[in-house]
Amino acid sequence: MSEIKAQNPFAIWHGMPRSSIHWEPKIDEDKCTGCGMCVVTCGEKRNVFGYDFERKKAVVMYPENCMVGCNNCTVGCLWGAITHPDVSEVKKISMELPMDQLRKELDNKLKANPGLLI
Amino acid sequence: MDEKGTWHGVERALLEWYPTIDSNKCNDCGMCILTCGNDVFRWNESKHQPLVQNPGKCVVGCTTCGKLCPEDAISFPADPKQYVRGVILKYKIFPGVKQDLALRIHKFPDHSVHLEVPKNE
Repeated sequence: MSEIKAQNPFAIWHGMPRSSIHWEPKIDEDKCTGCGMCVVTCGEKRNVFGYDFERKKAVVMYPENCMVGCNNCTVGCLWGAITHPDVSEVKKISMELPMDQLRKELDNKLKANPGLLI
Repeated sequence: MDEKGTWHGVERALLEWYPTIDSNKCNDCGMCILTCGNDVFRWNESKHQPLVQNPGKCVVGCTTCGKLCPEDAISFPADPKQYVRGVILKYKIFPGVKQDLALRIHKFPDHSVHLEVPKNE
């Protein structure tokens, strides 16, 4: 597991250690019907969930891969079985990010993807 | 959305889900363009601000850019949970989700897990 973490491309979030940010899904197994919507809603690159076919339950496998601010799995769960921490914490972190960090990242992204410029 | 332009079998073009930027609130930090993995936004070089350029590529129900926007300058057409719930029920997507689940686990077999849960808890 530590090896996976060391190689995790999502370990740094806008200059901050991802591990310092409290943002990941939590499943209430009593409510989970095993529909699998969360598993397939999460993108293949982050792939936060596993699935237990025997128990018909989704399982949070790689919480540290969860994209900060994304709660699409929570949104798509009809059964209300998934929760994320309150968005206010993430919003606060986002507001405190140094502007020059974002500026640098934006410049790099636009240089690498000139098609994004209009 | 998949390569066929559908969201769990539903034509993406039928679904109205996209961000709108309030340019009066936007502070041009670029967080939205940095965080979106689908290139919904582009950067207007002369005005030095983000623009919504590919609304149809926005992930249905996703509000990540809006949550991270430090100025709360981004809004969406509806409450995400209510909207997605409506789409799921209207288009009866669960047979497709079941197929997608099987495909996902087939592609990533290590994501097939089994946890032993103590029975007398």
